[in-house]
Amino acid sequence: MNDERDEMIERAARVLRTPPQVRSGTVARVLMAVRARHARPASRWQRALWWVADTSISARGAAVLAAASLAIGFVARGTVATSEPIVVASGPSIELQPVADGDAAERPVPVALVFEQANARDVAVVGDFNGWDRAASPMVRAGTEGPWTATVLAKPGRHTYAFIVDGTTLVADPNAAKATSNDFRGDASVMIVRPD
Amino acid sequence: MNDFDPSLPIRAKRGDDQAFIQLVEHYYPRCLRFARNMLGSEQDAEEAVQDTFVRVHDSFPRFREDARFDPWLFQILANRCRTLMARNRRHRSVIEYGEIPLTASAEHEIGADWAEEVRVVLDTLPVEQREAFLLRHVEDLSYEDISAMTGAGLSALRMRVKRACDALRTRLTEVTESER
Repeated sequence: MNDERDEMIERAARVLRTPPQVRSGTVARVLMAVRARHARPASRWQRALWWVADTSISARGAAVLAAASLAIGFVARGTVATSEPIVVASGPSIELQPVADGDAAERPVPVALVFEQANARDVAVVGDFNGWDRAASPMVRAGTEGPWTATVLAKPGRHTYAFIVDGTTLVADPNAAKATSNDFRGDASVMIVRPD
Repeated sequence: MNDFDPSLPIRAKRGDDQAFIQLVEHYYPRCLRFARNMLGSEQDAEEAVQDTFVRVHDSFPRFREDARFDPWLFQILANRCRTLMARNRRHRSVIEYGEIPLTASAEHEIGADWAEEVRVVLDTLPVEQREAFLLRHVEDLSYEDISAMTGAGLSALRMRVKRACDALRTRLTEVTESER
């Protein structure tokens, strides 16, 4: 069989091969979904709070639950008052559902980074969260014109980072605060990562 | 764009979070394209792809390190798409081909009409034909890989792709001739 490939089928396939637009923060959402599936509260009390938080609760109930959760060092999943969206540098915040467990303050959080430079051939993120390793967090983009995106894991706190364009040029994130350290001649940025 | 590092699936399987992130970033657009072509809905496609990567992460212990990653990933994705289609069939009324309004007008570019017609024909194909056509001609997987993924025999798959191509050719020839 000749595989049915001819000019018309090839033209149709080209239409269907068009790369889709991927919304900013999508990969971070996937990672949070993976994490949410694996994170489970350990104790009986935590499991009870998890169950309560998972059901529909009133605003007053949410406040009480939030207070109770904080008292035992546990942030309940759901719409409690302590829930904060995770920062997406250079892009919109993502509404994420914090996951219940005890070491949120230390656990790395997925952070979506976006960089726009149409004529760049190759972009990577470097920062203190990946040891300034240019091979650790390459950025990708759909097609040849869209923004460059990458997701990194960073512990809650203050981080310095930059983009490396075409393997040689260090560029600060134009949409973030500049780092004050002289080490980077102002060519680095700062982001604050909140616990999930 | 950066080249794909073939060691990523194995590193991700062994628990390297950064490798898993790079894997998701690399494959997400391609998976979204396949899901969108299968499901015809951006929202459903995003749901299918997110579910797929959650399942990939869960199923990594069963991924053989000497196996190729693409067919394994697309097997999971195709299953998620089928599950979503089955769910949607229960919740939505089916739109017949003849009921879809043809939006061709002088304002549209000819290429845009043609592209829209491709999607319309694709949506009318039986699921097995659509899946086989997309995997073979859009995602460029071999018949052997598709057979391993779907459990269908090689001759059955070739027949599905042939029928999909016949349907596309018939309708697109009409469109092309009407454009002249």
